[in-house]
Formats: sequence, structure tokens, C-alpha cells
Amino acid sequence: MDRKFFDRFDITLFLSVIGLIVIGIFAIYSATQSSVNNSGIYVKQLTFAIIGLVMVIGITYLPPRYISSLSYYAYGLALVLLLLVLVFGRTINGNKSWFYLAGFGIQPSEFAKVATVMAVSNFFYKGDEDNQKFSVTQLLTATGIVLLPAILIKLENDTGTTLVMLSFIIPMFFFAGVSPFLLFAVVTTVAAAVLAFINIYYFAVFLAFLILALYFFKKHWLLSAGVFVINVIAGYSVSFFYSKLQPYQQKRIMAVFDPASDPLGSGYNVIQSKVAIGSGGLFGKGFLQGSQTQLRFIPEQWTDFIYCMIGEEFGLLGAGVVILLFGIIIYRLLTNAYLSRNRYMMLACIGFASLFFFHMFINVGMTIGIAPVIGIPLPLVSNGVSSLMSFLLMVGIGMNTYRHKDIFLS
Amino acid sequence: MKGVSSVRREAKIYVSIGVMAAAIIVLFARLVQLQVVQQQEFGKESEKNSIKKIIETPARGLIIDRNGKIIVDNRPSYTLTITPFQFDKNLIDEVASLSGIDPEEIRNELADAKGTNRFNPIKIKRDIDFKTISYIEENRDRLKGVSYQVESLRFYPNKFKASHIFGYNAEISEKSLNESTENYYRQGDLVGTTGLEKFYEKSLRGEKGSRLILVDVNGREVGAYNDGNNDVKPVNGADLFTSIDSELQEYAEKLMGGRRGAVIAVDPRTGEILCLVSKPDYDLNAFIGSPDAKEINRMFNHPEKPLFNRVTQTRYPPGSTWKMMMALAAMASGKITPTTTISCPGSFTFGNRTFEDHGGYGSIPVVRAIEVSSNVFFYKLGLMLGIQDYHDYSAMFGFGSRTGIDLPNETKGLLPSQEYFDKVYGVNKWSQGLLVSLGIGQGELGVSPVQMVCYTAAICMNGMYIQPHLVRKIYNSSTGIETPVEVKKRQIDMSQKYFDAVKKGMYLVVNGSGTAKNIRNSDYVLAGKTGTAQNPNGNNHSWFVGYAPYDDPKIAVCVLGENAGWGNMFAAPIAAAIMVRYLSGNSADVFNENVKMEVND
Repeated sequence: MDRKFFDRFDITLFLSVIGLIVIGIFAIYSATQSSVNNSGIYVKQLTFAIIGLVMVIGITYLPPRYISSLSYYAYGLALVLLLLVLVFGRTINGNKSWFYLAGFGIQPSEFAKVATVMAVSNFFYKGDEDNQKFSVTQLLTATGIVLLPAILIKLENDTGTTLVMLSFIIPMFFFAGVSPFLLFAVVTTVAAAVLAFINIYYFAVFLAFLILALYFFKKHWLLSAGVFVINVIAGYSVSFFYSKLQPYQQKRIMAVFDPASDPLGSGYNVIQSKVAIGSGGLFGKGFLQGSQTQLRFIPEQWTDFIYCMIGEEFGLLGAGVVILLFGIIIYRLLTNAYLSRNRYMMLACIGFASLFFFHMFINVGMTIGIAPVIGIPLPLVSNGVSSLMSFLLMVGIGMNTYRHKDIFLS
Repeated sequence: MKGVSSVRREAKIYVSIGVMAAAIIVLFARLVQLQVVQQQEFGKESEKNSIKKIIETPARGLIIDRNGKIIVDNRPSYTLTITPFQFDKNLIDEVASLSGIDPEEIRNELADAKGTNRFNPIKIKRDIDFKTISYIEENRDRLKGVSYQVESLRFYPNKFKASHIFGYNAEISEKSLNESTENYYRQGDLVGTTGLEKFYEKSLRGEKGSRLILVDVNGREVGAYNDGNNDVKPVNGADLFTSIDSELQEYAEKLMGGRRGAVIAVDPRTGEILCLVSKPDYDLNAFIGSPDAKEINRMFNHPEKPLFNRVTQTRYPPGSTWKMMMALAAMASGKITPTTTISCPGSFTFGNRTFEDHGGYGSIPVVRAIEVSSNVFFYKLGLMLGIQDYHDYSAMFGFGSRTGIDLPNETKGLLPSQEYFDKVYGVNKWSQGLLVSLGIGQGELGVSPVQMVCYTAAICMNGMYIQPHLVRKIYNSSTGIETPVEVKKRQIDMSQKYFDAVKKGMYLVVNGSGTAKNIRNSDYVLAGKTGTAQNPNGNNHSWFVGYAPYDDPKIAVCVLGENAGWGNMFAAPIAAAIMVRYLSGNSADVFNENVKMEVND
């Protein structure tokens, strides 16, 4: 390769990633420094961040075909690990998703996210994205590639990661060239079910918008009517099934959408987290000075609720910078996908951008009370080696895409 | 299929960026709502909503004697604390007069705590009285951040002191706090500093717990945070079951009275320590609560060094108590046999120096030489042995190394060797004459009383050398697990007839015409050896090592009186009284200070 080392090095993406990691390590330090058992974990996070960043640079310079040819092997390995963890794994906080190797906790489900995106990209890599005709078998196979690990993860009782697995299907199919109308029909059906469940008026408004959207698709009126009917059925059947559930089951589902309904369980965390972020104000209470964080109102704050520590001690300024950095990372992944002449890399970047986006939006949204409480980490910020490394793997492939943006894979 | 389905990649990217931008705007708007619009509301809520974390210090483990009696106990006490986060500095003077502490000291404590977590209460004064507690309670609204914690302090329910056995606890020093790698201690914590308290600190201290308590703006407790689900219960420290015989300890301390010296008695069959006295001792109660700094300084600077454990930390020349060691070494190395006789006139000349003896004994074998404590016999043995054998055989009996007693800072003593003399005087620049003095336990030889008692026990057990120890087992009352303390044993490889000869000599010392016939007892057959060690710092040290009963040893003892004169006058009567007391089940008292006899040690 005769290109210079710093040619086409996506420095914006790289620096944004470092920025988030640094903020994360400060946040982990603050959230754990008064803890008897966990006060040293930031050192571990820092160590793996350095290893991970070296790995990112390494991946950047790999020939893209190496990455794509590894896809199915990585996917296969992920499936084996998920099966093994189901049998031999250790249960932590109700999730049987951990391996313990030489004192390190490893979560295969984090790795499975990356491997599944790679496998889907590899499946779709051939062809012209603007005018695809996928057979039903092809679509079902692609969906199956995602559902198989997702089901295994669900069996580990890790609902958060299962939802994450489903988050990139629609965007990746969309960019692979699957008919937008088909995707639209699927998305609206799910949305109809959820909205009908939350509030029947939301559902009514949603149906009105649905009619409008269907009109703009200008499909055959029978097809449009069919989609509409499916949506209505989805909405009604959810309410119907919900009413058939036991009260304790209903309560559990309600708590996901309305934390206040369970103030002593998951709702308690959200209430305390809102107080923490709200009391932070514009510039925060200062490093190590947040009463909510230091007094540990929120258990295990260094993992899923790390963002409320940032909001409390660094204020709107810090919380805003974190969102901004995520915005830049996702924007870079999208533009790298746009620029790439390698269809595999384009699709992988789209999958990774979806993962970053879904994680960030749900995690931040959860701490500020606008998204359901689903236990997923804030990428690159939350404490946890498996999550950190898998997101850095994605960053590495994203940087590789930029480096090799005009190499065409055939 | 034309129209929307043929959108180009660019359009798809625009859609994606649009979705992301919309989501970010939603998140940001929500942040502005919480952190700008509702900031005051949440700020108040977070203040109101503060919780206090109370570290619960576990009670230290107890120390129990060989009969199951508690000899180191705990009692509850109150400790005054200040939480910097809530504390108003204008209150310092009031708190100072309340607790009787100099306001400057409180300021210093608060300044020291800067940089640590402001929500952690700082311990200001221990053992405050109930009146002060009531005052804090009554004025709680005003005295924000001032509170108290219940802590357990040591309590000694004994008629004896055993200060050097137990040791004291003190506030952890800044140095050890910085050096500690385990993240257990905080400023103000008590930590075992000497004695068993230090040696078994990790077992005794237990595990800290914590309680989270919701408090309102006035610092009033509203309730447990999260129903106590985040609380951690403290685990009390493990108890030490020792081999100390309380009654014997009390008796030994009484016998030593106000003199300077050391007593240690062990069961030679097990290495268990029955009593251990170092005089002068000190009052452990002086270290409890908030110790008076002047009083403590006085102890540290006292010329008689009461904090020093003379049993384990000092080295003395052993004098004539060393003679069994020489006899064993000479026989085992083949220099003499048990029947070899050596001529012992009243003095011995080596080179141009004459070494005196307290009498002439004619030609005598080793048993007789021990009985009458002939110096000339052992001057000659010293020369015959040579430095190499002298060192090697003495090392077999634990001299020159630590016995491994479970007390901190034990001395190794000093056992000279070829290398040692070469280093001190230079190669070939020292005379064999040094061996003459070494032969009678003088010169450059330093032993501790604990080394001497182990040596005595090994002789009476025919060469079984057992690590001396105070603690038999450690009992964790929360898990119910008992851990026996591991004790090292080794058999010294020497012929039985050498031990028989030496033991016969020790028998005759007391029961023949020997140097300690003043302590002969009609009920129990005692055996032993006196020693009167010259030292450059004043009067002779008085030594006695012995064991009893002669044919079935159950106790071995070593008594040392610093500058107390003749071995048979001070040390022997005390040692005899201790042995008889113990063997009689702590009833007989044969101690008679006024036994007089001719002095010829």
C-alpha cells in the first residue's frame, strides 16, 4: 500500500471517541470513589480503553476484504459463545449472560451485536442497492440471521440487549434496498401496537397520520387498505391481550413505560436520576461534588445510569457535550457509509450507526425520563469491558471504511 | 415499482441524519427543561433528599484465656463526629467547649479531611459522656453536621495488666493510611498498634458495614434509604482463644512487682505460652478513648521504656544459663563425651588474660560442671568448639533467629559467627580468646527471654523445638468457623544421652549441691539453671531457666531480672514459685523473698 499513514484517517471520529472515553473514565471515578468494593474499576476501564484504541488503529489499516470474509466466522463464534453462556454462564442481576475467565467478566452478547451486523452486511453485499428485488426466502433468511442470536440473548433473560439486536434490522434493510413500503408497514404495525397500549388517543392520532402517509406512498388502494387494517388489528389485539394478563404481569409491563407507577422498583432510579440531572443546572455541581452521585442514590451508577452523574456534576454543559459527541460519531458513521464504494462496509456502518444511536437514545432517554427503563449501557462511557471493546470494534470498522472508501469489493 | 422505492443512497442518508437530529433535539430540549427550567425545583429536592452514610465499625474480636474466660472485652461508647458537608464553621467554638477539645484541633481535623468525601463524618472525639449526647440531641436543628456514632472500645476485666501481650489500639497514622493498599481504613479508625492487637489485626478487626439513612434539610433522620436494601451489616472481628493462664499471669505480675525484667512460661509439650510478663508495664486503659497526649508522651519517653516488650524485643547476654548449650554442642560435635573430665582450677589463663571462676572444682565431668556452674570448664569448651560449631549448634536451638512468637517486632538476638567477627574486627584480626567469654554466655552474644524459654523447653523435651505461641485458635463467631493456629515443630538431631546428661545437671542444680538448691521443693521436682550476666550498663542481670516436673515436664520457664544481681537470689525463687503455682493448679504459693544462701554462681 503506497498511501501515507495519516491519509484518510478519520480524525474527527477518532477524537470524538476518545472524548467520550475520557468523560466516561472521569464519571466512573466519581461514581465509585467512595465505594468500598469498586473504587479501582476506573483503572481497568482505562487499561482496556488504551488496548481498544490500539485495536481501532489496527483495524483501520486492514484490507476491507479481510473484515468481510471474517463475518460468518465471527457470527458462528458468537452463536457458539451464546450457547455456551446459556449452559455455563453466571447470573448477574438476573441476566445469565456472563462468562468468567481468569477473573474477567465477559458478555458474549456484546460481541454478538457486532458479529450479527457483520453477518447481515455480508449477506446483502452483492447487488445494486437502488433497485433490489429480494425474494421472500432472502428476506426471511436475513431476518433469521438477526433473530437467532436475539432469541438466545432473550433466553439469557437480557431483554435490553435483545431489543438492541432488533434495532438495526429496519435501517440495514432500508439501506440494503428492501422496499421502503414493506419496511413502513412493519414499523407502523409495531408502532401501532405500542401506542395503542400506552394511550388509546395516541393510537387514534397515529391512525390519522397513517392514512396520510399511505396516501403519499401512492400504492394500489387495496395494498394501502391492507396495511391500515393490519395496523388497526395490531392496536386492538394488544389491548385485548393485555387485559387477559395477570395483574402482576400488567404492572411489570406498565413500569417499563411509566416508571412512576412503580416508585420503589425501577421507577425509583428514574426519579432519583431526574433529580440528579435536574439539580445539576447549567454548569453542574462540580467534579466529585454531586450529592446524588456521591451518596449513591442510584445503585450501580457506574454502569447504566452513568449519564445522571455527568448531568449532576457537569451540568447541561457536560450532558450536552456527550450528546454532541454521539451526534458526531453517528454522523461520521453515516457519511462514511455514504462515501463508501464497498457495499459491505456501507451496510456495516449503517448497522453500527443504528447501534450507537439506539443505545444512546434509550440510555440517555431513560435517565431523563422520556424512554422506558431498559438496562443497556451508554456506549464508550458506561463501565464494562465487553461493551467498551465491542463499540471500539465498530469504531475500528467505521474508520476502516473511511480509509478505504473508494475500494470496490467484488 | 417506481417512485419512493428508487430513492438514492443520498436521500436515505438525509432521512437517517434527519431522524438522528430530531432525536438529539428532543433529548437536548428535555435536558434544558430539567436543568434550566426546573433546576431550582430539582436542586431543592436533591438537598432535601440527602442521605447520610453511616459506617458501622464492627466490634473487635475478643481475647479469651485458656479456660474460656474473656480477658479482653468490648464496651459501647459514643464518638463525636462532624460531617463537613452540613457543618457550619461558626459552630467550632461551641463544639470545642462541648467536647473539651481545643478549637484549633477541630480546625486541623477539618482541614485534614479536605479533599476526601465531604459527606463522610469525621471522628472528633471518642468516649464522650451522655450529657454531651443529650445536648447534641436537644440542639440538633442548630448543630447541623454534628453527630455521634456508637463505637466499641476495649475493656479489660482483669486483675492483671498483660499490657505487652494484648497491646493497644490507636488511631491509624497518616503514614500507615497512605501505605495501606487494601482500602479498608479511613482517617480516625482504630488499628491494632502493638501486641496481639497488632499481630492479629486482620482477624480481630472484622468487616465494616454501612447504613444509608435519609435525612431532611435539618439533618433529622427520616428513615432508612431504600428500605435498608443497600445496607451492609458489619461483621464482628474473630475471637482469639489464647493459651494464657489468667491466674498464673496475675501471680507472675505480682511476683515481679516493681522490678525491671521479664517472665515467660510455656507448656514445653505444645509451645503454648502460659504467662508472659515484661516489667515495667503500663496501663492499657491510658490508650482508650481519647488518650491524653501528655500522658502517652511520658510513657514513650520514660527512661525505663515501659512500652518495650523485654520478653521478645530485647537481647541480653545469657550468662551461665548458656552452659547447657555449650555442653550439648561439645558432646554432639564429639569434642567431649558425657564422661570426659576436665580440670577446673579457680582460674583460666588464655594468652595474657586471666579469666576468674568462683571456685576450684578439680577434674569434673559435664554433669558436675553444670551443677556447680564451673566457669573454667566452659571457657575451655568454648575454645575447643571453635566459632563454626559454636554458631551452628546454637542456631539449631533457635538462637540468632526469631522464634516466631505471635507478637510483633521480635528480635533475632545476636549469635556471632565467623562472618560476623570478620565483619566487625576484620578478617584474621580477632582472637580465639573471644570464644572464652562466649563459652559462659558473655561477650558478643544476645538472647531474648523467649528464645531462652524455647531452648529450655527443647532440652526438657529431648530436642523437640516448638514455635512458641499465645493464640491456639481463631474463632469467627459469625461464620462459626474455627481456625487452629499452625505451629512449626522440629526435632533437633542429637543423641538422647547428651540430653540426659544436661538434664541431669539441671536436676542437680536444684536438687544436688548446685547453685539453686535454695528453691528445692518437696512436692515437685524442679530442674533448671541460674545465670548472672555481667553487663556494661550497671549491676548484673539475674537469670533462671527451668522446667518441672523433672521426669514429665509440664511447664518451662525463663525469668530475667534486669540489674537484679545473682541468678539464684532474684530469678530462681520467682521461677520456682511460678512452676509450683502452675503445677498445683494455681493454689500453692512457695515464694519467699528472704531465702538466703551462699552466693557462688
